[in-house]
Amino acid sequence: MRNQRLQEDLMEYGSIERTIYVDAAPEIVFDVVSKPEHVQRWWPDEAAYALTPGEPGHIVFGADSKSCSTGDGAKVEQFTVVDVRPPRSFSFRWNHAVGETAAAGNSYLVTFDLTPEGGGTMLRMTESGFRERGWSEVVVAQNHRDHENGWDHFLPQLAPYVASLHVTP
Amino acid sequence: MIVDDDLWQAIGDPTRRRMLDLLLADNGNGTATSLGQRLTVTRQGVAKHLSVLERAGLVRSSPSGRERRYRVDDAQLARAVAQLSSVGASWDARLQRIRSLAEEIKHQAEKKPPSR
Repeated sequence: MRNQRLQEDLMEYGSIERTIYVDAAPEIVFDVVSKPEHVQRWWPDEAAYALTPGEPGHIVFGADSKSCSTGDGAKVEQFTVVDVRPPRSFSFRWNHAVGETAAAGNSYLVTFDLTPEGGGTMLRMTESGFRERGWSEVVVAQNHRDHENGWDHFLPQLAPYVASLHVTP
Repeated sequence: MIVDDDLWQAIGDPTRRRMLDLLLADNGNGTATSLGQRLTVTRQGVAKHLSVLERAGLVRSSPSGRERRYRVDDAQLARAVAQLSSVGASWDARLQRIRSLAEEIKHQAEKKPPSR
């Protein structure tokens, strides 16, 4: 049993996929998953990007929340919209290095697919790019992601990553 | 220190996942010979895949007679599994917030009197 479970987990490593039913029309859900003013209510603390494919933007985490011990509270992540097809799909890449053009291998690709169903919307989210980027990248990203869920829990494990993350003196 | 970057590459290959599977099925350990008997891979191929797995920290080897015995590193495997399930949990929380926001917007629109 353990064997099979682990095998399934390993098969999933390249991407994460989730589906959720929302009792609102695709037009509403599309706005919530794509517009910066909405996105910053469910993910980063601040979102600054244009709904234009390829244009560089960014998202900011932890601007005023429990900051890490260096005193550098905010973490800026690069964010680039890949595709905008209201109200059916929206995709973006994030976490690439400053100055780099988002592409496979340097960022994570998040795709939202919306399907009308019974007056509401079946929303499917896929995030991929883990395998392409390598293990340590995922560990770093995951520590950022957990910022909102429990920064304190990860602080003890964070020191080595903080050292590699903060290039500024 | 383990070279973490190798982990994704190690488990990205179906033959290596099959090898891990076989090792786990066999009390978590085996040799190149025992694996080779159950895979359509040459002996050199088995050795090469094992070295990739070992570099990623997923297996550890020790001498056993004239061969080496490979054992699955449970901690490293569990760590890999935990990292990814944690990323998944973060998305679960975000999707719940997306749902609440969208449904809230819908209800507010319904409550508004028709504009004239």
